Amino acid sequence: MPQHHPVIEVELPSGDTVSVVRRRFSGGPGPRVAVVAGIRGDAPEGVRVAHELITFLSGVEDRLAGTVDVYPCANPLAAHRGLPRWPFFDSDLNRLFPGDDDGHPPERVAAALNRDVQGADQVVEVRGARAAFSEVTQAHVRPGEALAAERALRLNVTVVWERTPGPAASSTFAHQHPGAIVLEGGTGNRLTPGVGKDLTDGLLNLLAMMGVLGEGELPFHWAALARPILVHDEHVQRVRTERGGLFLPALAIWKRVEEGEELGRVVDPTTGEVREIVPSPMTGRILAIRELPVVFPGTVVARVVCT
Amino acid sequence: MTVVFSLEAPYRRAYELHRLTFGQGGPVVAIVAGLHGNELNSMHAVNLLASSLQVQPPRGTVHLFPLVNTFGGDEGVKRWPFDDRDLNRAFPGDPRGTSVERIAAALIEHTEADVCVDVHSGAPHVRELPQVRAPLSGRELDLARAMGLPLVWRRAGEQLDGTGLVGAWRRAGRAGLHVVGGRGITLDTEHSGTLARGLHRLLTHLGMSPAIGPAETVADVTRVEIETHRAPCGGFFVPEVRVGARVKPGHLLGYMQIPIGGDRIGELRAGRAGVVMTVRAWPMVHAEELLVRVAATP
Ligand SMILES: [Zn+2]
Repeated sequence: MPQHHPVIEVELPSGDTVSVVRRRFSGGPGPRVAVVAGIRGDAPEGVRVAHELITFLSGVEDRLAGTVDVYPCANPLAAHRGLPRWPFFDSDLNRLFPGDDDGHPPERVAAALNRDVQGADQVVEVRGARAAFSEVTQAHVRPGEALAAERALRLNVTVVWERTPGPAASSTFAHQHPGAIVLEGGTGNRLTPGVGKDLTDGLLNLLAMMGVLGEGELPFHWAALARPILVHDEHVQRVRTERGGLFLPALAIWKRVEEGEELGRVVDPTTGEVREIVPSPMTGRILAIRELPVVFPGTVVARVVCT
Repeated sequence: MTVVFSLEAPYRRAYELHRLTFGQGGPVVAIVAGLHGNELNSMHAVNLLASSLQVQPPRGTVHLFPLVNTFGGDEGVKRWPFDDRDLNRAFPGDPRGTSVERIAAALIEHTEADVCVDVHSGAPHVRELPQVRAPLSGRELDLARAMGLPLVWRRAGEQLDGTGLVGAWRRAGRAGLHVVGGRGITLDTEHSGTLARGLHRLLTHLGMSPAIGPAETVADVTRVEIETHRAPCGGFFVPEVRVGARVKPGHLLGYMQIPIGGDRIGELRAGRAGVVMTVRAWPMVHAEELLVRVAATP
């Protein structure tokens, strides 16, 4: 049986408590892989992947050559409500790392989770898509982390993106762990058919590649897995609107676009006026497209990648 | 009133950034409120100042922005409602960026002044004695003290974060002050009046307006002179003091009880003489949350 370990138990004002838990599957002295989901409460796809992983690993634990730690939901109160932030404190857990043992509850959760994951040979954070977006499955690694990139290419995603950390990166979970891989895909705050299975298969393949799981245990043939393309920052462009209104996308994710082709349009829903035709800045494919239509001037509505 | 910036909005009329300008020539002061849409004391304080400047125009120029986050104000929320972003984390902004970045950039552009003040209420769950937060030394501390607000809180590294408005002003070479009073969500007319008098005294100090009543400062402290009481456990906190109360060692500040049944599980007592500067207003508390702060008085 997998070990059920509360990473931290948070006492609530009412006298109730809420726990962040870890399920450990350990079958041998081999590498330890940590899979963390639900750091934001609006990413149920990651929680589903954690569930699929737990279900599969429960059947093969005695044949594992290493350890898999699954943290199915790091932000349980937010997930309870489908909101990104920890309720009451209204704080973004993914801006609180490395955390503070003497801070308020979300800061203590960040500290406890960070400590628990320390020493893992591979850390994977599973998210869903960004709120408001539909995205192809993708793995993000930091530039220059060759081993992480090599592993990410086996994760059954569409794209591996060597992504330069942004200004807020230093306070994120993934940034605390060199070589961490971040998995994204699907639709913001929704489950998308196929995405959970693709990401779960990818994680099992990673476990096999690292020698934690025997190749014979994989529930699929390796040849069935996707061969991701590897892209860098200069291959990806964000597209913004210049007008406010309702953004109506013209194309779905991973469709090919030509430079100048319409990605979608901004309309005034009350008059029918077309305020803006939003063109693709380059020839390539659609990595992400905004599906929550309300936009202001400057709202990001798509990411296009040149392939 | 001038609209200095606008932004097209879906389903409603465009967002507009409003500025009231009094007087002309130098020196120039800019005062901003309502960056957070639920901080009503800040808006009311700036409007009180506006009504007195209407009667007695300043020598020099005063720009007032009584309510930056109108959309948040309409909904009673702190942040910019569209994407739930904190405007006070969007500086220095970007005229080609997202909606909050565009508003932030416009605000920096239109607060070109010698002295800039950003007025806030406290968080909705705490009530704060009207105060100005200033660096440990320098011109900003002199300006802060000239406001004569009940509390001057000198803080190391105060507002150096350039994603906040005050930090962005400092980086742009302007003197920036951070003023806080009362709590969010509620209007407290007494605190608003105190904040408005502080703003007026700043203008007096700069030679722009005639003097009003004497300074109201009761404490001028750094962190080590502040006694912080935190919740020993989760529960229901019942305060026994209000902000501004003078306390002596042993004074009962409040007590903790269990929320279901009300059994008393702990008491908080002052350890030193001082003035109560912060009181928890929302009683359901987690362990280690801030309940009361007492600032040492001379
Ligand atoms: Zn505020």
